[in-house]
Amino acid sequence: MILLAITNKNIVGRKMSKEELAKELSDAIISCKKDNVIAAVEKARDAGMEPTEIIEKGLAAGMNEVGVLFERGKLFLPHVMMAADAMTQGVALLEKDMEPGESAKKPAVIVNGTVEGDVHDIGKSIVSTMLQSAGFEVHDIGRDMPTKAFIDKIKEVNANVVGLSALMTTTMQGQKEVIEALKEEGLRDEIKVMLGGAPVTQAWADKIGADLYAENATEAVRGVKEILNV
Amino acid sequence: MATEYSIRMGDGKRVYHDKKQIMDDLEAGIADAADLGEISGLSSDETERIAEIIMLEGRMVGVEEGKEVPVTHDISTLRIDGDQGNSGVGIPSSRMIGCMMHERAFGADTMELGHIDYSYKPVKPVIAQECQAMEVCQQNMIIPLLYGAMPNMGLYYTPDGPFENPGDLMKAFKIAEAQESIEKSADHLTRDMIWIMQHLMRSASDGVNFDTTGAAGDGDMYSTLHAVEALRKEFPNMYIEVGMAGECVLGMHGGLEYDGTTLAGLWPHQQAPLVSKAGANLFGPVVNTNTSKSFSWNLGRAVTFIKAAVEASDIPCHVDMGMGVGGIPMFETPPIDAVSRASKAMVEVAGVDGI
Ligand code: B12
Repeated sequence: MILLAITNKNIVGRKMSKEELAKELSDAIISCKKDNVIAAVEKARDAGMEPTEIIEKGLAAGMNEVGVLFERGKLFLPHVMMAADAMTQGVALLEKDMEPGESAKKPAVIVNGTVEGDVHDIGKSIVSTMLQSAGFEVHDIGRDMPTKAFIDKIKEVNANVVGLSALMTTTMQGQKEVIEALKEEGLRDEIKVMLGGAPVTQAWADKIGADLYAENATEAVRGVKEILNV
Repeated sequence: MATEYSIRMGDGKRVYHDKKQIMDDLEAGIADAADLGEISGLSSDETERIAEIIMLEGRMVGVEEGKEVPVTHDISTLRIDGDQGNSGVGIPSSRMIGCMMHERAFGADTMELGHIDYSYKPVKPVIAQECQAMEVCQQNMIIPLLYGAMPNMGLYYTPDGPFENPGDLMKAFKIAEAQESIEKSADHLTRDMIWIMQHLMRSASDGVNFDTTGAAGDGDMYSTLHAVEALRKEFPNMYIEVGMAGECVLGMHGGLEYDGTTLAGLWPHQQAPLVSKAGANLFGPVVNTNTSKSFSWNLGRAVTFIKAAVEASDIPCHVDMGMGVGGIPMFETPPIDAVSRASKAMVEVAGVDGI
């Protein structure tokens, strides 16, 4: 487990640079400790760092690193959640300083689920958790979900991204079916389709006309951000 | 133009690579394993040897004479009468026929009796039938016959079991509650697996196979190691096999330990000593196949991980070789060119004791 201690040795004396403050914020997130994050946020704010900078260069950068450490088996799911929780608290502290609208950068609304006939949901749930930790609104509809369930949920929550997980070569076809159904419903242009699961490849995603393929949860977060430009 | 060799991608697709591409991919795969597992890579001789195996002529290859190793089988009879979605070939038959076919026709060195659901929990209500099937098979067979199933701890979480789903709790930031749910499920699973095996041992089973250990994360592994420990104490001569679900133990709980070692995040070479310590006789390490990478990349990576596990293990390692593991493509009928080459490399370069 990597739990970085936050040292305060820089507080007295020299004024810290923005880079140093950002690093401290990021380290605080990686420590997965709420108190560290709150202290680092307060310090950065008092030093005159802009709230958006604190979030993007500090907290979000730390969350990305948490994702990488998770994929490498160095940090575990509870730590990811603790870091996400700490990040939420840190952002909440800054919200009152932000211009209205600034904090409410429209997050993606994501419907995520495992396709019909497939009960594998461990990886899909990790992807949901990581997307949620990254600040997206995630509706995880579960496993072994018929195409109709995806379509209904997408309409209900007005989603702009749908994640389709398939862990078996025999159920990958279900991903194609959802894409076809989206076309039939006239929804295809309004939504980004993201595929994942061990047997899925970029070539399969291209073949069935998906917008994004991600190999793991961290890539999924990166991919969604990229594709939506957020 | 350089000679091109027909190989596979991780999803089974056929591609043509020249030797340079094969070597580059092998080296990248080896480096990936060395980096993730913090283990040493392969020597240039070993890398070259794997490349030679990949480039061998002939659709199917075999190990050199004198280097043959035993093969143990999991999931057992399902391979015959299960359909493709169930990892089988869909031939109507009985479980005993499946076991005997493996013994007498396929040259299996050990065999396993399993249940159609293939998880421990659903064996409980049909324990009498499982015991009877074990007795009848034992009366007809000579090779060691184990009982096998998956710990599959997910069956203890809602909606399938009594404890609240840690995934749901986690998403609601109820971290301590999620961990508690995992701990409770692990205790129940340990208890059930011991109870089931006590019955099967009384019905002449030669031992047990814990297949896909760790599938539900560190709790699943924790539970299995405790079951192994208890069974070893009660049945000193029992044959105990622990096969893994994936290369790295997923940290769903994060804090569970066995013998002072945190289970989450362990790689094959770190899993082996713990499995042995708990009292198993045989370890089945796994390395996952990346469907987007080439066979060379996957095989270099898998051999590097498995070689380190074999070196760290004081019990025999029978590497898990099949659809989507051990460098083999993820494809319902794994292509024989890749299966036989990966197996040869595992024996001759990684030094596995069996498959
Ligand atoms: C755990 C497991 C199970 C558990 C599932 C428990 C659960 N609640 O999920 C149980 C025991 C129930 C199970 C059952 C079966 N399984 Co299974 N199972 C596995 C196993 C061992 C691990 C899967 C896993 O959880 N990996 C860990 C997670 C973290 O990784 P992941 O799922 O790949 O997810 C990551 C990425 O893929 C990606 N990702 C995943 N989803 C998504 C979604 C999106 C949108 C994105 C962007 C990314 C993304 O991000 C994740 C995080 O990094 C695999 C083998 C293996 N090692 O992969 C076999 C495997 C998938 N199972 C297999 C089979 C055959 C079955 C059964 C049919 C077995 C049987 N005979 O009954 C049944 C399936 C029944 C059904 N109808 O679905 C085969 C599939 C073969 C094939 N044809 O493709 C495999 C490959 C094993 C094998 N080699 O035979 N299984």
